[in-house]
Amino acid sequence: MPEPKASSDSARAWSDAQLALLALQVDPVGLLGAWVRAGHGPVRDLWLGQLQKLISCTKVPANTDTERLLGGIDLAATLQTGCLVQQMGLLTQAQGGLVLLPMAERAPSFLVAQMVQQLEHATFGVVALDESDEDEAPVSESLRDRVAFWLDLRRTAYAEAQEALEALSPSEVERARQRLARLSASDEQIHGLCTTAWALGIYSLRAPLLALRLASVHAALIDKDAVEDEDLQVAARMVLGPRTTQWPAASPPPENEPPNEPASVSDHAPDREPPTSESPPKPPPATPPDIEELMLAAAMANLPPRMLDQLMLGSQTTARTPHSTQGTSGQARSAKLRGRPLPPRRGSPHAGARMHLLATLRAAAPKQKLRLTGRAPQGQGRLPLVQIRAEDFHIHRFEQRSSSCIIFALDASGSAAYQRLAEAKGAVELLLQQSYARRDSVCVIAFRGTSAPVLLPPTRSLVRAKRALEGLPGGGGTPVALGLQAALQTAQNLKRQGSTPLLVVLSDGRANVTLKGVGGRTQAQADALHAAGQWRAQGWNALWIDTAPQPEAKAQQLAATMGATYFPMPHVQAQRMANVVGDLMQLKA
Amino acid sequence: MAKSFPFSAIVGQEDMILAIQMVAVDPSIGGVLVLGDRGTGKSTTVRALADLLPPIKVVEGCPYGCDPEAANPCPSCQQRLEGKSATRLKSVTRAVSVVDLPLGATEDRVVGALDLEQALSRGVKEFAPGLLAKAHRGFLYIDEVNLLEDHIVDLLIDVAASGENLVEREGLSVRHPAKFVLVGSGNPEEGELRPQLLDRFGLSVEVRTPQDLDLRMQVVRRRDAFERDPEGFRAQWEDANAQLRQRMLKARKAVGQLQVSDELLRTTADLCSQLGTDGLRAELTLMRAMRAFAALKGHKQVGTIHLRSVAPLVLRHRLRRDPLDDTDSGMRVQRCLDEVVPA
Repeated sequence: MPEPKASSDSARAWSDAQLALLALQVDPVGLLGAWVRAGHGPVRDLWLGQLQKLISCTKVPANTDTERLLGGIDLAATLQTGCLVQQMGLLTQAQGGLVLLPMAERAPSFLVAQMVQQLEHATFGVVALDESDEDEAPVSESLRDRVAFWLDLRRTAYAEAQEALEALSPSEVERARQRLARLSASDEQIHGLCTTAWALGIYSLRAPLLALRLASVHAALIDKDAVEDEDLQVAARMVLGPRTTQWPAASPPPENEPPNEPASVSDHAPDREPPTSESPPKPPPATPPDIEELMLAAAMANLPPRMLDQLMLGSQTTARTPHSTQGTSGQARSAKLRGRPLPPRRGSPHAGARMHLLATLRAAAPKQKLRLTGRAPQGQGRLPLVQIRAEDFHIHRFEQRSSSCIIFALDASGSAAYQRLAEAKGAVELLLQQSYARRDSVCVIAFRGTSAPVLLPPTRSLVRAKRALEGLPGGGGTPVALGLQAALQTAQNLKRQGSTPLLVVLSDGRANVTLKGVGGRTQAQADALHAAGQWRAQGWNALWIDTAPQPEAKAQQLAATMGATYFPMPHVQAQRMANVVGDLMQLKA
Repeated sequence: MAKSFPFSAIVGQEDMILAIQMVAVDPSIGGVLVLGDRGTGKSTTVRALADLLPPIKVVEGCPYGCDPEAANPCPSCQQRLEGKSATRLKSVTRAVSVVDLPLGATEDRVVGALDLEQALSRGVKEFAPGLLAKAHRGFLYIDEVNLLEDHIVDLLIDVAASGENLVEREGLSVRHPAKFVLVGSGNPEEGELRPQLLDRFGLSVEVRTPQDLDLRMQVVRRRDAFERDPEGFRAQWEDANAQLRQRMLKARKAVGQLQVSDELLRTTADLCSQLGTDGLRAELTLMRAMRAFAALKGHKQVGTIHLRSVAPLVLRHRLRRDPLDDTDSGMRVQRCLDEVVPA
C-alpha cells in the first residue's frame, strides 16, 4: 500500500484518515472504530462518503431509544397487526460492521453507556462523529478510550482532502483478513509499544493493545508475513500520538536510567497519589532498541501543534468541565420522570418516559369509528373495544427546574472594616428579597479568625436570614482557605440535592490564616489558592467582590484561579452589589 | 454471547482480585467499590467473574433464578409449588450471573415493569423482571457508579440492604428476592459518591494502571493472545480456573467454621474508634472480611495478620473526610494499623 505524502499537519491528518479507512475496512471489529473530530462540512462528508461506500454502516441518531438500540418490541407494528412483532436492535444489525454516531458529543449518556457496554463484546466498531469546539466537552472518555483512531479533521482544508487512497476490493480485504489471522508481533515489539505508550503518558492499557492491532492490520495491508518496525511506527503515530498526555523524558534515555521520567509522570497521575509513598515506576529495562525511538518519533510527529505548546508549557490542562457528559444543570430541563408536570406530548412510552393514559385515550377517541369500520371482523377473536395506534401515544413530561442557591462567603475579619460588613449584610438582605421571588435560596458563610461557620444554612426565609446576620461579629484574622472550603462543602451538598450553587465571595483576599488555623501569610495564600482551584474544578460559577479600598492583586489572583468573575468594589454599596449579582444570575439562567 | 477473558489469566490488580474473591466467599461482606483510571482491567475482571464460582442450581423457568432449596421461594416458584404435590422443583444449572447496569438505565429496566410483550399479545398484566432480578445470586456491576443518577442510587441502596425488590407501580405489586454482590467502578475525579452509597460497599480498592513495564507487556500479550483465539486461550487456562473454583468452594465451606476471638474483636474495635469510622458496620465488615480472607488462605485461625491485610480494604472509604488532611485515606488506615497492630 502506498504511503500517502503529506505536506502539512492538516494534510497529514487527511492522509491518516485515509489510512484509517483502509484499516477499518479490513478489521472494523478489532480496531473498534474511530473518534472523528470534524465540523460539519465538505471534508467530513467526503470522508464519510468513502467510509459508507467501503463498510456497512448503521447510523444511530441521538434520539434512539433502548428498544431500538438493543432490540425489543416494535410497538407500532405490534399494534397495527395485532400480534407481537419484535425488532432487531441497531447494534445487532451492525454486527461485523460499524455504527455511526452523529453528534456524538451531544449523545445522551445512556446511549453512550449502552454502546460502550456492547463494545465490550466486540462485534462491531463505532465511528463517533464529534463536532465539539475546543472549549466544549467532547464525547465521553469511556468511548474514546476504546476506539483505535482519534482523527482530527477540523483544520483540514477541502483542497487538501483531494487525495484518496484506492479502496480495497473484496478479494483484497479477504486476503488481508486471512493474513491478519496469521500475523503476530514479537515480544520485543510489544515491549516497544508498551514503553512508548508509557513514555508518552498514556496509562490506559487499551492504547498499546489497539496499537498492536493496528500494526498487524497495517502489515496485513501491505502483504507482509511479519509485523515490522514500519508497521509499529504507523501504529504509534496513529494510535498513540493523539493520546499523548506528556512530553517524554527530555532526551530519549541514552543509558539505563532515565532520571526524569517518573517525576514528570506525577503531573497527570491521579492527585491522590502521594509522591513519596510510591516507588517510582520501574524505568524501562536497559538498552531500549531502536524501534522505540522510532516509534516515539513517529508518535510525536502526529501531535497536534497546539498540543505541543501545551506540553511545552508544562501542560496546564485545567479541568474546566470535569464531566460535562450531562447537560448544564441549574436551568430548566424537561425531564421524563419527575418534576413539575407539563402538558403531555405525543411520543413513544419507551426511552424512560411513562405513558399518559388519559391523553392517549383522548387522542384515540375521535378516530375510533374510522378504525373500527376500517378493519372488518376476521372471524377469529373479537376486536378490542378501543383501537389504539402508536400515533395516539402521549407521554408524561415534567419540568425539572433545579433551583439555584447563592452562597455568600463573607469576610468578617479585622481587615474588612465594620462598615463594609454592614454593607455586605445589607446586600444579602436585598438579594434575598429578589431571590424570594425567583425561588432561589441563600446561604451565608462567615469566615474570621480560625473558623468558617455556616451562619445561615440554605434558606428562603427572610426572617431567619436577617436574624442570623444581625448577630454576626467582626474582627480577627482572614482564613480565606477555610471560607472557600466551607463554601465548597456546602455547594457539594446543594448539588446532591439537585440545586445549582453560585458563590459570591466578599473579601479583600489578603489571607493570613492557613487551613490548619494558624497564622502565616505565605502558607495561607497557598492554601487559599488551592481551595480556589478546587472550586474551579467543580465547574460552578462564582463572583468575587473585592472589598479592599483599592483593587487588590491577591483577590484578583484568587478570583482568576477560581474562574470567578472579579468585581472590585472599594466601597461596597448594597444596592449596586445586589444588582451585579442579579445580573450574573440572569446571565446564567 | 462472546467468551470472557479467563479470570485466572488476569495479570496484576491483586487488591481488586482479592476483594472480589472475598465477597464471593462471603457475600454478606457487601459489595466492592473499585476506584481508578481507565484501561486498568476493571471491566475485564468483572466480566470474568463468572469463572470464579461454580455453576449454581436454579429452579427451571423461574424468572428470578431461585435456589431450589430456598426457604422462601419467589412468587413464581410459589405458584409452581402450589400447582404440584411434589415439594421439589425441577432445577437446571447455569453459570452465576454477572449483570451490567449501564449508566442512564431507566427505573423500569432496573426494577422491572409491566411486561409489554404479555400485555400486548395476550392482554395479561404480568411483571417483566428487571436487572435486579437478573442479578439475583450473582453480581451487579455498575461502571461509573459515581455518575449514576440519584433516583437509581436510591433504589439500589434500598434493595442492596434488604435483599428484596419491592415493586409497586403501574398496578403491579410484586416482591421478589434480589440478593446480589454490588460491584461498582468509577474514577473519583469525575464525581463523588454519595456517602450513603459509599457505606453500602463492604470493600473498596484503588486500582492504578500497572507501572511495571513487564507487567504491562504481559497484560498486552495475554489480551492479544485472547483476542486472536478466545476459545484456545480459554482452554489453556481452564485448569487454572478449575483450581480457582475448587479453592473458592473450599473457602466457602471453611468460612463458616472460622471464629474471631474476643481479643481480636477488641483490637478491631480499637482500630475503628481510632480512625473514627461511624457506626458498627465497619467492625462487622472487618470481622467478616477477616474470616473470608483466612478461609481463602486456607488458614485455620483468624489472627492479626488477617486484620492487617484486610483493614485497608474495609476502612479506606469509611473515614470521615478531613479537609485539613490531604493524605490518601489508605495511608491513614495503614498508619493507624501500624500503631494498633504492630507487625
